[in-house]
Amino acid sequence: MAAEPEAAAAEAVVAADSLGIGIGWRPEIAGVVAELPSVRFVEVIAESLAPAGPLPTGLHLLREREVAIVPHGVRLSLGGAEPVDPARVAHLAGCARLVGAPLVSEHIAFVRAGGLEAGHLLPLPRTREAVAAVAANVHRAQSELDVPIALEPIAALFDWPDDELDEAAFLTEILDRTGALLLLDVANVYANARNRGTDPLALLDALPLDRVAYVHVAGGAEHDGLYHDTHTEAVPPDVLDLIRELCARHQPPALMLERDGRYPPAAELRAELDAIADASGYPRVT
Amino acid sequence: MSELASEPVSTALLAQRQADLVAALVAGAPDPPGFDPRLLAAAREALLRKRAGEVARAWPVLAAALGSRWPAEFMAWAAGRPPAGARTDGRDFARTLARAGTLPRLAARELSPWWRLVSRLRG
Repeated sequence: MAAEPEAAAAEAVVAADSLGIGIGWRPEIAGVVAELPSVRFVEVIAESLAPAGPLPTGLHLLREREVAIVPHGVRLSLGGAEPVDPARVAHLAGCARLVGAPLVSEHIAFVRAGGLEAGHLLPLPRTREAVAAVAANVHRAQSELDVPIALEPIAALFDWPDDELDEAAFLTEILDRTGALLLLDVANVYANARNRGTDPLALLDALPLDRVAYVHVAGGAEHDGLYHDTHTEAVPPDVLDLIRELCARHQPPALMLERDGRYPPAAELRAELDAIADASGYPRVT
Repeated sequence: MSELASEPVSTALLAQRQADLVAALVAGAPDPPGFDPRLLAAAREALLRKRAGEVARAWPVLAAALGSRWPAEFMAWAAGRPPAGARTDGRDFARTLARAGTLPRLAARELSPWWRLVSRLRG
């Protein structure tokens, strides 16, 4: 009996090269994040920061506590066939320096083309042409960044008609060509599998999980028979199950909750963080 | 690494196809061939809904004053009209309502930069 709590405590210790459970820092929930006693990493939307500073007060305080801050770009359009805008790359690199980031992240997606902004992340055709376009843009970004970049596969509501590669082969090829790390969003894996009628575990089995830098977790909702990854709902139990499946295969160094609207009371947010911790085997940070 | 290894690949065709797709999603252009029209319609709707959320954050009084007319009226206005950023989208939408005489008085106030200055000074 006496040994059990000790064993549990030993099991829950975060390895030296892991950061455990984090959260997407947003101004609306800055107070909740500030009061998480043992959080060791947060992510911040790069486009919400000014590289010249100053940092928002809440982030500045986290930085003083040596919480790792990862700038997450959403508008670079690395999957665009056109070369990535050098000013956007410089902004991301500047944000990384401002927060002393260990890592930055962006998406395998495009957000504009032909002079029009789509307003959200759009999927790429899984073709060799698209692999070449992403790889070229990631190389352009890497040449300006002082830290590694992790690339996130998106949740797509539709696919292109002419895919040459399956999702795992497409992603692995991009990672191999660029040396980038993988930002795996288990809610995106869930959404895509549900909407396409495929097996999310088959994708987990086929991905290079040893390249996962960290993991996104979020909630969504169904409209008209499609699951939308909205980040405005509670994390569904099926997504927590995917965390368990992922960690049974390979425990990633860090996992984090993404919430981008309809913010719940602090207690609910903390409960979601605890659920992610429990599903992943990391200690709670609340 | 694989059979895909790095022979140079032209991305000119991809550029055109991406442009055609974005135009279909946000600018009223026809759906490119081969895509599932039902799924493109869902994506178009999701983009409009996200855009409405961003406009509501930039123009909170506008969205609140429209009550149950929000976000449907904004989405109907924005359909086929490329996004110009939340501030511009909200202002142009409000001006359209003002010309039609259907802009709520509270929202009209939010349009005046001096009214915003007064609100800020009141703090």
